[in-house]
Amino acid sequence: MKKLPEQVKRLAAVFVIFLSSVLLIRAYAVPAALKDTDIHRRTAVERETARRPVYAGYTACRDCHDDVFTSRKKGYHRNLSCETCHGPGQKHADDPEATKPIVPRERSFCPVCHTYDPSRPTGFPQVNPSTHNPLKPCITCHNPHNPEPPEAPHECSACHGEIAGMKGLSSHALLDCTVCHTTPEGHKLTPRAVMPSKPEDREFCGRCHRKGAEEKDAPKVDLATHGEKYLCWQCHYPHLPEGMK
Amino acid sequence: MNPEFLHKLAELVPQVEGFIYPNEIEIHWSILIVLYPYLTGLVAGAFILASLVKVFTVKEVQPVYRLSLLTALAFLLIAPLPLLLHLGNPLRSYEIFLTPNLSSAMAMFGFVYAWYLMVVLLLEIWFDYRKDLITWANESKFPMNFVYRILSLFSKDLTDEAIAFDKKAIRVITIIGIPSAFLLHGYVGFIFGSVKANPWWSSVLIPVVFLFSAIVSGIAMVLLLYMIITPLRGKPLDMPCLDRIASFLFYAVIVDFTLEGLDFIHRLYESEESIKILSKLVMNKLFVSLVIIQVLLGMLVPLFSMAAAKAFRFNEELRKLSYFVAAILIQLGIFATRWNIVVGGQLFSKSFLGLTAYKMEVMGLEGLLVGIAVLIMPFCVLAVLLKLMSPWKTAEEHAAGG
Ligand code: HEC
Ligand code: HEC
Ligand code: HEC
Ligand code: HEC
Ligand code: HEC
Ligand code: HEC
Ligand code: HEC
Ligand code: HEC
Repeated sequence: MKKLPEQVKRLAAVFVIFLSSVLLIRAYAVPAALKDTDIHRRTAVERETARRPVYAGYTACRDCHDDVFTSRKKGYHRNLSCETCHGPGQKHADDPEATKPIVPRERSFCPVCHTYDPSRPTGFPQVNPSTHNPLKPCITCHNPHNPEPPEAPHECSACHGEIAGMKGLSSHALLDCTVCHTTPEGHKLTPRAVMPSKPEDREFCGRCHRKGAEEKDAPKVDLATHGEKYLCWQCHYPHLPEGMK
Repeated sequence: MNPEFLHKLAELVPQVEGFIYPNEIEIHWSILIVLYPYLTGLVAGAFILASLVKVFTVKEVQPVYRLSLLTALAFLLIAPLPLLLHLGNPLRSYEIFLTPNLSSAMAMFGFVYAWYLMVVLLLEIWFDYRKDLITWANESKFPMNFVYRILSLFSKDLTDEAIAFDKKAIRVITIIGIPSAFLLHGYVGFIFGSVKANPWWSSVLIPVVFLFSAIVSGIAMVLLLYMIITPLRGKPLDMPCLDRIASFLFYAVIVDFTLEGLDFIHRLYESEESIKILSKLVMNKLFVSLVIIQVLLGMLVPLFSMAAAKAFRFNEELRKLSYFVAAILIQLGIFATRWNIVVGGQLFSKSFLGLTAYKMEVMGLEGLLVGIAVLIMPFCVLAVLLKLMSPWKTAEEHAAGG
């Protein structure tokens, strides 16, 4: 056989070095789990099972929070596990006094699931958080454990549905109709014959809105100058006070 | 939801027509993935041109032999870059070699690429340049002689026997190289052609169409480079060489055109349930890039201009002009081809009921500027290669001697 030409030997050396370094790295530096062709990264499963669980599971919460558990069970959130909102709770379940779970009271939390998003299934309750009653935490109107949309007393919305719906999303949402309208029982039977009262003067609204009034959530105005002598509802619609007439 | 994403979506949603699944609104394979088949195509085409000299012994094309090899190398070196940028995690990319996944067509890219780079292109270039590298190592001064010595792998043998062996080796490698070049670009076509859920891509003809468009673009690119670089060096253009390349280009474009026409007619005749949305796609979203740029400007006009050069026996200047224009238009057309395949395949809903739009970013990682930078890079690599391993010296010796 003829002698191998010099240049082939040199090339062969380069290839041998290259290939053997690949093979060496594969043999020694690549963990066996990565090469396993049956179950990729089998060791990852072992590693994960060796960890201490941080979630307790919703049944664990029942032992001590029976009331929340039962109210959630019949509501719209029945399929959400407690720890979806309260975070991992194993530590708290082991020793409730020492660790407290997260309580997501802030308004930004609920939109994680309820912001309008075209990929959510049809019929999933979605809102636009920038127009759905801005500024107030969702839990002022919705019970997180049993999130019925708030409703005006049934007796009124049956006939005044539009007003009730509008007020429900306004900044007066938390005021009952009867705060402003004293309604005799008869009104519901013979509505036109027995009329409820309506506020009559600026003083009425001033109960909550005048400077120094007790109602601390209500923004305050100077009754003497604000809106001059006109009735308040000549400018503010009382069932949607943030919208001007 | 991520507010940035919401903002982007808000821009796109008004452009959606008909019904579309939420995850189809935004296109994920962007300009970078358009560049990838474009660049690999140039590699395959340039290599095929080079192999004409060695395997089919087309003497006239000798002056561009080395230029085409270096062009192929420059583009091949940059070809994986758009993929790396698109995927992220470039530091983990070598893992596809260490833990090969034999059942994934995409994961096999590493091997197809490595085979072509290491076993075909670098070897052929090395054998072809070995003699020159040794000479240059002896002639040049300090740092460069060392560089050449390393490049020649410290080889010293300049005997006739050794040179004859080089020649033989080149021939063998080129013979292996042609199917390898076919493999490289056929593979890229296969990646698209095998996606059976996407009727715009799924077709057995796609690898072949890719291959021929690759050959077209590669030949045109070398033609362009040759026509630009030679006057810059103050040398006359070799007209027989130009004519010969142009006639190869002409036939390649005809084959490419025929294949694409075949694919088109096939789809029309089969008229599967996707045909309505595809024709909407072509008539609405791709009209300019497909009908005008790809077919009219990228194929018919160059064909016509090259045919006219032949038929009316243009004089030299006019021929040069018509080749030059044809080569530029062909580049544009092939780029549009890649665009139409990659972007077009994502513009329609897999429900076949609606279309979306592609909004290219300007700044981002997948944006226009990065795309342009990636497109310029092979030329910079080529400039370095041309400086380092001048293809002209022997080419001119050759012309003088033979
Ligand atoms: C062993 C009984 C026990 C278990 C099990 C238990 N908790 Fe509690 N949890 C308590 C007690 C007691 C308190 C009241 C502590 C206080 O008021 O200071 C409490 C308070 C809370 C609070 C209110 C914290 C606050 O800052 O106001 C939340 C929320 C809560 N638990 C959620 C959970 C969840 C979710 C689980 C299930 C993973 C769970 N708990 C399991 C005993 C328990
Ligand atoms: C949709 C999210 C959500 C889910 C699911 C949820 N919680 Fe809550 N939870 C809240 C919010 C928000 C508050 C704060 C309510 C407030 O301050 O009025 C809260 C408050 C509490 C409190 C404090 C006492 C109280 O009633 O205000 C306890 C205890 C509690 N949750 C237990 C549970 C348990 C047990 C479960 C599972 C059965 C559960 N939560 C499921 C959101 C949730
Ligand atoms: C992990 C996701 C998730 C989070 C977080 C969440 N919800 Fe829900 N919510 C749901 C699901 C699921 C339903 C039930 C949908 C159905 O019945 O189809 C629901 C239903 C509701 C409904 C009933 C709407 C209707 O009338 O159909 C209201 C109201 C509601 N959620 C309010 C809230 C509020 C307030 C919070 C924050 C304390 C909250 N949600 C947090 C998932 C979530
Ligand atoms: C001022 C009281 C109020 C606040 C605060 C409020 N909501 Fe509501 N929400 C309502 C009322 C009233 C309805 C029912 C209105 C309707 O049916 O049009 C409702 C309905 C909903 C519904 C059901 C929509 C549907 O299509 O069934 C969801 C979900 C909801 N709210 C989520 C939220 C979230 C999330 C927040 C916090 C970002 C929030 N709400 C804050 C009063 C409120
Ligand atoms: C059976 C249907 C019915 C029910 C229930 C009902 N209303 Fe009415 N209400 C009416 C009708 C009808 C009118 C007269 C509307 C008109 O004249 O245009 C009316 C008028 C009113 C007025 C306007 C009085 C005025 O002087 O213009 C007020 C305020 C009012 N209702 C409040 C209430 C409140 C608060 C409730 C719940 C406690 C209630 N209504 C329940 C049917 C009803
Ligand atoms: C903040 C006080 C306030 C609350 C709460 C309130 N109202 Fe009124 N309502 C008024 C005032 C003030 C008027 C008189 C407006 C006018 O005369 O233009 C009025 C007028 C009405 C009228 C007459 C028609 C109209 O739109 O002017 C009806 C009906 C009515 N209210 C029903 C209700 C119902 C039903 C509720 C509960 C869902 C309710 N209101 C809650 C202040 C209130
Ligand atoms: C029982 C107390 C009470 C009465 C009576 C009352 N309000 Fe209010 N009002 C509130 C509270 C509380 C808020 C603020 C709610 C919030 O934004 O947290 C408020 C908010 C308002 C706002 C501000 C809306 C905004 O956010 O821009 C206006 C305007 C307003 N009320 C007008 C009136 C008028 C007009 C009347 C008389 C018909 C009236 N209120 C009667 C309690 C009251
Ligand atoms: C002439 C029309 C007019 C009348 C009458 C009027 N308001 Fe206003 N009110 C306005 C305007 C305009 C604003 C918003 C201007 C601003 O933000 O300063 C406003 C704002 C308010 C606010 C919100 C202040 C804040 O800080 O957000 C309250 C509360 C309010 N008015 C209560 C009343 C009450 C109570 C009455 C009756 C005593 C009344 N208004 C009468 C025109 C009027």
